[in-house]
Amino acid sequence: MVSRCTHLNVALKFAVVLSSASSASPPFKISTLNLFPCIPTARTWSEIHATQGNKVFSTSPHQTTSATGCDDNDSNDNIIGRGFLRLPDEQLMGQCEMETFKASGPGGQHRNKRESAVRLKHLPTGIIAQAVEDRSQHKNRASALSRLRVLLALKVRNAVDLDAYSPPHELLLILPAKSTVRALECGPQIKPNNPKFVLGMQALLDLLYAVKGSISEAAQFWGTVKLSTGALSRLILSDDQLRMAVNELRTSMGLKSLK
Amino acid sequence: MKTTCFIRVPSFCTPISPIIRKHLQKSFNKTGHYNQNHISTLNSAQTSISTSPSSPAPSTSHKPQTPVFLRPLIYSSTFPDLQSFTSWAKTLVSSVGSTFVQLDNGSDSTLLLRELRWLLEDSIDDPSLIPHLGICQNGGITSNTGSSSTEVVRLRVSLGQMYQLWKQRIQERRPFQYIVGCEHWRDLVLSVEEGVLIPRPETEKIVDLVGNVVGGNEMLREGLWADLGTGSGALAIGIARILGKNGRVIATDLSPTAISVAKFNVERYGLQDIIEIKQGSWFSPLVHVEGELDGLVCNPPYIPSEDIGSLQAEVAKHEPRLALDGGVEGMDNLLHLCERTAAMLKPGGFFAFETNGEKQCRLLANHMENEMTGSFRDVNIVSDFADIPRFLTGFCD
Ligand SMILES: C[S@@+](CC[C@H](N)C(=O)[O-])C[C@H]1O[C@@H](n2cnc3c(N)ncnc32)[C@H](O)[C@@H]1O
Repeated sequence: MVSRCTHLNVALKFAVVLSSASSASPPFKISTLNLFPCIPTARTWSEIHATQGNKVFSTSPHQTTSATGCDDNDSNDNIIGRGFLRLPDEQLMGQCEMETFKASGPGGQHRNKRESAVRLKHLPTGIIAQAVEDRSQHKNRASALSRLRVLLALKVRNAVDLDAYSPPHELLLILPAKSTVRALECGPQIKPNNPKFVLGMQALLDLLYAVKGSISEAAQFWGTVKLSTGALSRLILSDDQLRMAVNELRTSMGLKSLK
Repeated sequence: MKTTCFIRVPSFCTPISPIIRKHLQKSFNKTGHYNQNHISTLNSAQTSISTSPSSPAPSTSHKPQTPVFLRPLIYSSTFPDLQSFTSWAKTLVSSVGSTFVQLDNGSDSTLLLRELRWLLEDSIDDPSLIPHLGICQNGGITSNTGSSSTEVVRLRVSLGQMYQLWKQRIQERRPFQYIVGCEHWRDLVLSVEEGVLIPRPETEKIVDLVGNVVGGNEMLREGLWADLGTGSGALAIGIARILGKNGRVIATDLSPTAISVAKFNVERYGLQDIIEIKQGSWFSPLVHVEGELDGLVCNPPYIPSEDIGSLQAEVAKHEPRLALDGGVEGMDNLLHLCERTAAMLKPGGFFAFETNGEKQCRLLANHMENEMTGSFRDVNIVSDFADIPRFLTGFCD
């Protein structure tokens, strides 16, 4: 079978999917995701797009060490974009510019204002995550960082070579326990509330983008793992953000939304 | 007595509807006897605020107050009554608008709404009700949809107290943290009350700075540390949690209220075997460990005396002057600390002081360099999260 990623330059390691009209081929287009309806972001995705262009990044992050302990045998080409998610917190934080509110005054003992908002800009991708609703700065930083991980999973696409595809370990981990092969290899199923879920979510989205949103086609690429389209749909529907991202993709491909 | 005037509406507030007024009266009467107690606590707290720093209160044993979120669920209300409270509280907030910002750079209505949500969070048994009360996740206003069940909602403070507390927040500018009796600081929830400084988010960074130096240094990690002027115990607790198993912290304060609140917090985090709390002025409780400290941190009062009156009302009117006033230039305590630090620390010991900003950082760094040549090394000015030069760190030579 021919790789579906013909539009990808071979040198490219990963792509950042951004909203709005772009010149990129359809699989790399996604409309605006409003993940945090209550939180006004300082810049919308399309504004990011305006300043950065629909830039496809080929620079590698400083570190690509695995933080999950799950080795996969993918081609190395695919590891760069995923590398971000595998970084431990301090290293991922190191790639970010942190903005907190700019104090309008001397701060410290002078003031008692509960403005502990934190905004993180992930410099390699331009992705911005923020948190305002926690009661300490410290916790807002942690929330912003875990939100950044979700956004990286949703927005950073890794090239997938469908000819040589075998589902990466982190994807197997999020499959329902019934899937025969995963049950043998992995521990209990990782659910959306587990921080490691984002790695599997990213791998799943990579595959779905490569097959242009088709669930039935995606279900063919599991090699020895038996996974029905129904089970795959249920997995997608189990997490709101994953569901929204997949439905955005499907809508842009002219496919029906999963319900 | 101010607090008995329950329905008094500040001039900037929109009038309260007769229905809410009646409700207020009702819930006030229902809980009359508790309120009475509460008022007397308030008054005694207010007396202690006005105690001038030069005559510290006698060290009578002070009984720390229990923060709202730790109180038992002995009150109850109904969902519609709670909804009326919320919309009344929101009315007060919107009547504030940007008044506080203009007056003294105080909180705007977005921040006040967020605080209202936190008050509900701390007071209500089942926080999943909060979104249905008409406050959005990040403090914005949403419509009052959701269940209108008459089910009983269990509370840690009575509805009457909630009205009273929120009225104090808006009319008296009583700090939110004193209202709920706690402050979220780093990953800690610390009890605070009138008479104790509310720990600031800027100060969180001192724990990170200590974390950095103990990371690669066994002597410091397993060493003896001191937090002078510990207030709520914030720094001592933050540091105790990152030291090794042999690490020890001595936390001191002059204020008896601070001592009792710090003790409460230290025990709540189970650190009483690691943190020793001592009352006294700066180094006097530490004479027995002179030259033996591995680390010393202090966030001393550093505001110039003449600036105190113009601070945000929450700070100027409610926080203890003893915790804020640093003398004419604000440097009195910092200079005093600096003089004795070299003698208190072991060679290689670490210190971190918080200051009022760039000017004080520079003055202090110059003082160390010129007046105390050879005592310190690697003296550094470190900025806070808002990029204001805030901390002075270094090592004893
Ligand atoms: C700015 S507060 C800092 C409190 C706490 N360390 C914090 O960071 O939140 C200063 C503290 O120093 C205490 N203090 C003031 N004068 C003191 C003195 N002479 N000796 C010891 N502590 C003193 C005050 O009671 C207050 O708790």
